[in-house]
Amino acid sequence: MSGRTFQVAVVGASLAGTLIAGTLIGEAQSVSTHKDYRFNVGARAGVSVNNPYGSISVKPSTGNVVLIDAVLSSDKVEVDNNLVGNRVEIQSHLLAGADAQSGRVDYEILVPADASITLHSSTGPLRAERLHGDVTLEGSAATVEIRDITSAHVHVKTLNGPVTLTNVQDGHVEIDSLSGDVTLNGVTGPLVQVISTSGSINYIGDFGDRGDYRLTSHSGDIEATVPDSTSADVSARSVRGEVHDEIPLQPKTHTWFVIKEGSAFWGTMGRAAVSSTVVLRSFSGKIHLRKRTSK
Amino acid sequence: MNCVELQASLAEIEHGRNSEQRNHLNTCEECSALVVELDSIISAATELRAAEEPSPRVWNSIEIALRQEGLIRPQRPSRSLLPTFGSRWAWARWMVPAAAVLLIAVGVYVRQHSFTREIVRDLRPKPPVSDMAVAGLNDDDLLQEVAQLSPAVQAQYRDNLRHVNDYIRDAKSVVADDPNDEEARRSLMEAYQEKAMLFELAMDRSLP
Repeated sequence: MSGRTFQVAVVGASLAGTLIAGTLIGEAQSVSTHKDYRFNVGARAGVSVNNPYGSISVKPSTGNVVLIDAVLSSDKVEVDNNLVGNRVEIQSHLLAGADAQSGRVDYEILVPADASITLHSSTGPLRAERLHGDVTLEGSAATVEIRDITSAHVHVKTLNGPVTLTNVQDGHVEIDSLSGDVTLNGVTGPLVQVISTSGSINYIGDFGDRGDYRLTSHSGDIEATVPDSTSADVSARSVRGEVHDEIPLQPKTHTWFVIKEGSAFWGTMGRAAVSSTVVLRSFSGKIHLRKRTSK
Repeated sequence: MNCVELQASLAEIEHGRNSEQRNHLNTCEECSALVVELDSIISAATELRAAEEPSPRVWNSIEIALRQEGLIRPQRPSRSLLPTFGSRWAWARWMVPAAAVLLIAVGVYVRQHSFTREIVRDLRPKPPVSDMAVAGLNDDDLLQEVAQLSPAVQAQYRDNLRHVNDYIRDAKSVVADDPNDEEARRSLMEAYQEKAMLFELAMDRSLP
């Protein structure tokens, strides 16, 4: 190797080393990191998580312990945590320059099954399952999934994020979504209320017994699919939309609103003594009450 | 003379209007409209003279109801319970129960006319109530709140704002059609609730 060739090789190696080092430093700033937290709590603990960007998933733990696994997307976000009495508070703390990517934190959380949880994320998704404490989930665009919840208050608010509840029993359920579609599958309880502005509402189930079910959308369609065994007083009205009823109802003899063919119906199905009250209401959306076909 | 004084004095007018009343009516559109409305009721009521006279029991019931509402005062001992028909404005005294009967008969329709509703409930005119006055929900505030968000997110909020305003408008319309419709009133509340939630989400979203 000549002296000239050797000089070129040295300069080239130096440049390559500089580039590699720079790349490694850059990656160090954006690499994701894990943080784990553990809190011992009492019965009926409270857990709240406020996470501007990223997912939150909550499942039951064994014992009175709250376990949190947080994945931070970068060093532009940190996790503030606090135990106040019997309440765990988690906050994703965005630092200067953080955005939806660099400020993202994804949480996997285990809580006692009787804990009350409050989750907030703009982007989501938000998930909660197999709990019997109160569940409050809020997120603008967050997809919300809740399943296997019993004897709890379930409150959900979204802007346009879709909401899906599956197997929520004996619940006090209140869902508000401006334009997200709402799907309730096997959701029963003393109160089940869905309010949407332009999103659709899809209920699949038997409306339980002696509950108050109110599904309201301004312009979204409402569809309820029920089995033969359903007992319910069902009233449906759409101001400008159509109303379809595939199930023979015993019509009410005394009604307090005008039953206009094709835009309203009101009647009883099943056993009146144990029937729930079901109100389906839309202004310009369609309402469809249909029978669930046998599997 | 202010509006309240003029409206209180209307039933006492026996021979046209005095100068104070005329001055006030020249400057106050609402009171002027009130007098026009009363005139129209009076002229319509003259047609009722040929109708069958209600039984004393009906008049007593109306009188009791009006006393309970505070719309008529206890009679002075020196005055007859029944006003004379000798003057133009004395008809107005008869028109109070007559108007009550009309109100009962056309209740829903009458409730859509805020002016008449004001006569029944409160003679003082009230300004229209806006969304902002009801709940502090100003659309411009919302759009300003989300102005720093991405154009796509801003578009989402604008779209949702338009939808929820449509919702409120439609719900109001249905309530106006049938104020006794409990479900319609509830829908209106829910529409406002949706708008409040939109503001709440916008506030949350704009936080660092």
